[in-house]
Amino acid sequence: MAGPEGDRLIRVDMTNQTVSEEPYPDEWKLLGGRALSAKILLAECDPTCDPLGPDNVLVMAPGVVSGTMAPTSGRISIGGKSPLTGGIKEANAGGNPGQDLMKLGIRVVVVTGKPSDPEKRYGLELTTDGMKVVAADDYKGMWNYACCEKLAENYSKTASFITIGPAGELQLTGASVACTDQQKERRPARHAARGGLGAVMGSKGLKYVAVDPGRARVRRPADMKGFSAKCKTYTKDYLAGPQMFKTGTSSVVPVANMLHTFPYKNRTEGQSPDADTLDGKNINASFEERGGEMHNCMTGCIVQCSNIVHDAEGNYKTSALEFETLTLLGANCAVASWEDVADLDRLCDEVGLDTIETGAAIAILMDAGEMEWGDAEAMKKLVREIAEGTELGVAVGNGAVSVGVRTGHKRVPVVRGQAVPAWDPRPLKATGISYAIGPMGADHTAGLIVNPGMPADQWAQASQEVQLVNAVCDSSGFCQFLQPTLDDIREYYGLLYGEEVSRQQIADQGWECLQDEWEFNRRAGFTEADDDIPACLREEGVGPDHSIVFDVPLDVIQQVKTRFELRDELFAAKASG
Amino acid sequence: MPVVQVPTAYRGPTRGEAEILVSGSTVLACLEAVEEKYPGFLPQVIDADGAVQRFVKLFLNGEQLGDGALDAEVDEHDRVEVLAAIAGG
Repeated sequence: MAGPEGDRLIRVDMTNQTVSEEPYPDEWKLLGGRALSAKILLAECDPTCDPLGPDNVLVMAPGVVSGTMAPTSGRISIGGKSPLTGGIKEANAGGNPGQDLMKLGIRVVVVTGKPSDPEKRYGLELTTDGMKVVAADDYKGMWNYACCEKLAENYSKTASFITIGPAGELQLTGASVACTDQQKERRPARHAARGGLGAVMGSKGLKYVAVDPGRARVRRPADMKGFSAKCKTYTKDYLAGPQMFKTGTSSVVPVANMLHTFPYKNRTEGQSPDADTLDGKNINASFEERGGEMHNCMTGCIVQCSNIVHDAEGNYKTSALEFETLTLLGANCAVASWEDVADLDRLCDEVGLDTIETGAAIAILMDAGEMEWGDAEAMKKLVREIAEGTELGVAVGNGAVSVGVRTGHKRVPVVRGQAVPAWDPRPLKATGISYAIGPMGADHTAGLIVNPGMPADQWAQASQEVQLVNAVCDSSGFCQFLQPTLDDIREYYGLLYGEEVSRQQIADQGWECLQDEWEFNRRAGFTEADDDIPACLREEGVGPDHSIVFDVPLDVIQQVKTRFELRDELFAAKASG
Repeated sequence: MPVVQVPTAYRGPTRGEAEILVSGSTVLACLEAVEEKYPGFLPQVIDADGAVQRFVKLFLNGEQLGDGALDAEVDEHDRVEVLAAIAGG
């Protein structure tokens, strides 16, 4: 095999707490991240299984180019059957575990089974010295930051960590999987947040994974000279360009508000009166006085979209405070202060929760009259309650649908059980189609199209194409914010393995990934009737006179499942999430 | 005639049009010409004080414009490109 040799597939049996390894199949060499996760889940996971039972399969898969010198390429995909949606799920994160696994030649970790004693906690060690499951009862119940501080004390300086917080241990369906960033403190600030995969990890008794590549070097491409040249040119061109994400996603607030996609009060409005105080400009302005900065979450990132936020005393508070979090835990709950949202973001990272799902759940609670709009202190108390496992805490920690059921409230903006992200399907119809029919449910990273003027006859094809491009990107290890095109990715792959990767091949990979995921969902019991946006977003509008509703016909949504002819433009389209 | 390239996020007012041919001898004049054709476009690019929105970057024939971007001279065959910061997160 050309390119990296000796790659391995690691199997972890949590019923017996054993680890084994297999050579990584050569026919899968161009599969990584999301596409690899989908392939394994379709082959090895019963789609009708209990997502929190022993038959669910938890996949941890870095991208194809992770661990190489390629810029911003260390994303890791976490996959499994989602306890939130009941369908297939892939959520990916930055930080360093993806890079470190690949430096060890570990292409994927497949976790199965479940310990007989649900009170036991375990850690998985993957190092240059070997692989084993170890007892981790003394980490039980720890919040993510304390957990990672303790891990940092007990493992080498070169290790990175994948952890869950109390929400994952409680198997709450809004639970995230945390990855440590590349700062020397190794903070658990990067989350594979969506779909409740933290609960799947918790159900297997796995509190952490420690990945230590030691002095292992970056992966060596087959065409070293060509690969190096590509990295150099790509980086140079990127840095000479506009670098639109240099101030972070939080800077998008005013644009989103202008476009009626900055939801307020459980999406009853598309604009917030607090857009100015929630604007990321305030975060960037705080750097001078308080410290904090923009930084790269993973080694080798040239985008540097991640902010480090300090409090008024100049102490670290959280990272990264993103647009989605400012929207769902901010505007959507009528919270006006970015600093309150920063507190809530830190709490969610600590407890191990998806900020989108948690914000949406709390907004429904408020909309149902069970909490005051904008009461940030009550929200903070509630997130702490989630960690304690109180009755209300569990309801909110289980996400938007759970709170809808508890309150009997009808305005529950979810698709296939997953809360709709900030980007609103009403002004952004093609994005709405991605939410409705995408295998992941309402997930902006699977198919975001911010084009409110797009003609109706282009929606379905645009949605299919962006879903395909993003599926390839999420399989490559590249961050979507680097905005690689399919041509870029296939060129990197070709140089990595010393063989031509055609346009048809790379496009087919994206399509096959979507097909695998749709097939898993079909076997799990989903039908065409599930491919829609909730009634509240079809009936209640945003914008002038609340006139902008989601009004895409169902047959247009279904067009996405039939492959459109390949266009040259597809290969120049940038990943967009 | 110069052409103004509209970013996807700002194509609501232009009803999906990506490239608009206009008359104008400066960047500002070109943007104002788009506004005349498609009301609602200009406030997305320029704030109430007449400055370029901080989340917008302007390019002329592929070169990023800095201070004084709006006053930059535009010739008949030039391309004015508007870029808007959009990211998920």
